[in-house]
Amino acid sequence: MPINKKSRKMERREVIKNIALMLGGSISLPTLMAMKLHESGFSNMFDFTLSALQRKILAEVAEVIIPRTDTPGAIDAGVPAFIEMMLKDCYKLPEHQSFIEGLDALHSKDFLNKNMADKISILTAVEQENKTLMQAYNVQQTKMGDNEDKELMTSQKKGLPFWRLMKELTLLGYFTSKVGLNASFDFVLVPGRFELIKLKPGQKVFAY
Amino acid sequence: MNINGKFEDQHTYDAIVIGSGMTGGIAAKELTEKGLKVLMIERGKEVEHVKDYDTAFKAPWEIQHRDKISVHSAEELWANNRFIGMAQDDKAQFMTNDKQNPYIEKKPFDWIRAYHTGGKSMHWGRHSYRWNKQDFEANAKDGIGVDWPIRYEDIAPWYSHVEKFVGVNGQKNNLDVLPDGDFLPPMLMLEPERFFVDKIQRTLNRPVVIGRTANLSKAQPWHTALGRATCQYRNKCSRGCPYGAYYSSLSGAIPAAKLTKRLSILHDSIVTEIIYNEAGGKAKGVRTINQHTLQTTEYFAKIIFVNAGSMNSAALLLNSTSKRFPNGLGNDSDQVGRNIMDHHLGVGANATIEGFEDDFMYGQRPNSLYIPRFRNWGADKQNNYIRGFGYQGGASRADWKRGIAADGFGAAFKQEMTKVGSWNIGFGGFGEVLPNPNNRMFLDPIKKDKWGIPQIVFDASFGDNEIAMRKDMANAAAEMLDAAGFKNITKNNRQDVHLGLGIHEMGTARMGRDPKTSVLNKFNQVHDCRNVFVTDGAAMASSSCVNPSLTYMALTARAANHAVEELKKRSI
Repeated sequence: MPINKKSRKMERREVIKNIALMLGGSISLPTLMAMKLHESGFSNMFDFTLSALQRKILAEVAEVIIPRTDTPGAIDAGVPAFIEMMLKDCYKLPEHQSFIEGLDALHSKDFLNKNMADKISILTAVEQENKTLMQAYNVQQTKMGDNEDKELMTSQKKGLPFWRLMKELTLLGYFTSKVGLNASFDFVLVPGRFELIKLKPGQKVFAY
Repeated sequence: MNINGKFEDQHTYDAIVIGSGMTGGIAAKELTEKGLKVLMIERGKEVEHVKDYDTAFKAPWEIQHRDKISVHSAEELWANNRFIGMAQDDKAQFMTNDKQNPYIEKKPFDWIRAYHTGGKSMHWGRHSYRWNKQDFEANAKDGIGVDWPIRYEDIAPWYSHVEKFVGVNGQKNNLDVLPDGDFLPPMLMLEPERFFVDKIQRTLNRPVVIGRTANLSKAQPWHTALGRATCQYRNKCSRGCPYGAYYSSLSGAIPAAKLTKRLSILHDSIVTEIIYNEAGGKAKGVRTINQHTLQTTEYFAKIIFVNAGSMNSAALLLNSTSKRFPNGLGNDSDQVGRNIMDHHLGVGANATIEGFEDDFMYGQRPNSLYIPRFRNWGADKQNNYIRGFGYQGGASRADWKRGIAADGFGAAFKQEMTKVGSWNIGFGGFGEVLPNPNNRMFLDPIKKDKWGIPQIVFDASFGDNEIAMRKDMANAAAEMLDAAGFKNITKNNRQDVHLGLGIHEMGTARMGRDPKTSVLNKFNQVHDCRNVFVTDGAAMASSSCVNPSLTYMALTARAANHAVEELKKRSI
């Protein structure tokens, strides 16, 4: 069922505007500005920021993905601020938009006020929707020479889906943070040698 | 007159070496060690070995954007960013700002540059393979390009000379297709890799070997004398090695040349032209412009080694016009800038390996497996393309990144991601590119950079032979993974690859026997201007499929030796 692009864009814009009204204007002005800029082709002029409410949702989702257990969780490891920084520095408007849409969609489901079981079922549904979206990106792992890999995907008008961004940046932020890495792995700065070994039960994996 | 004479004295050396990278380093080392007073001129900033490797010891959390690339970096380094990782935080500072150093793409050309001391020798993949006998004979046999003016026997002793100096680890495999060299001890193969090697030998009768790389698996006295140490297996070579364990101009050749006290290095100085002395029939020096002050200066020498990197070396020849050489120094043949070659890559296959769950490794190996060329070799004959390709790759264990595309989150998922995943294996090909005079770069007649130097225009692309070979490279990789019994085989063939992405760009001032069809003679001397030597990748008459740096360095050492012999005989 093909949807007219323009009408879909308009629709999205209306939805975001309505949500903004609903939240008493807590969807940032830049979001709305960005939509205008995007439509007029100035895709790089967007200064990505999140509202306090959006930050809260982001932190909660990160913590559901990597919760505090007997080791620190995403919030302990500073993942929410990391994600915001990464989105701002390393992604452009299409990703900014899809990320904010994702947060706002969770808000429309009253995510923050749900119990843990409901939060998990909401995010499980988001993850399943994400799979369909990602198929369109035709993601491929390509082997280059010299042990280098590159992930290739079809470039899209719309940014990477919210869940892909959220999950990738949560895992990246956590497992490469000082807190998360040291809690999870055996950090070796200078191995000094290369050896074939057998993994012992319960042995921590090395990180370098 | 008097002042001028004094100025010339102060700016006069026995030899000028243009460029401090892979071949400029070797040229300076060989020439200074043979007693010459050398001026090395580097267009970029000074990088001090060890001291300037700012990111070398940083932990993952100390690299702000980890392995992601900021939008800013991607825009400033727009060409570098076409290659994986070059614009990442941990190395972007060493790569050339493409915005400030523009070039023109009549057809897309992936030009990866590193303007600083040591050039791309700081960033290379380090794989070091000798060419085989047939590589030097192939052009003559196929009637393509021009015949090499040398054969394997001419370069073999120089391969040994360079291998010993730089330190190449490897296994002697006694293969005609991949001649053995003077190796340090080989690096280890992983358990599933041993399984693969054995299986491919038995099912396809095809050798797979451990890669041969310029990392010191065991530092020798002549390495430690330069401050180099044995590899620590961090596999963070691309940040610069504080142990000097992989070879670069910075860790090896420049320190060796400095020991002679006959080396001077000039930084931030772009050589704009080689000055030709019409009366003497030789080059007499070079003109430079300072990157920052824009001041121009002239330097003089008996011999000049051009090691600016293949594309820049050719551009320099084209920009050095005189009455004798109105189309550029040494360009009587109109071959300067033509025949751009590279190795085409970004094509191969991946798979998953079942089993070997307990097998693991401590340390990170800066090396891989190597599958030498098997196409159009021996009994194999392909119908739709000539020459061949080699593969690099190997096995690795999945880490937490497998969680990104996998289902799940929460406490159990988090715990699972701290464990190692299954084994994966993958290979990417490096394919030979044929010389084609229509694949060329030239100087734009109007557009100049901010130093007043004409911008380079690239007008080159893959031909039918490369495109046909690429299909086979993906298929043959998948076949081998299948023959080994591996699962989930996926082929890949990147379509956004252009000439240049292999970072083995070469061929723009080819060697040959005939001055009418080539630029350089068998000792890398410019025909008819024999005190100018071009010994970087520009000199190549064909590309083979093996990584080229070792061959460039061997040609350089050989040419330097010849230059000094000729100087002694006063014949140049």
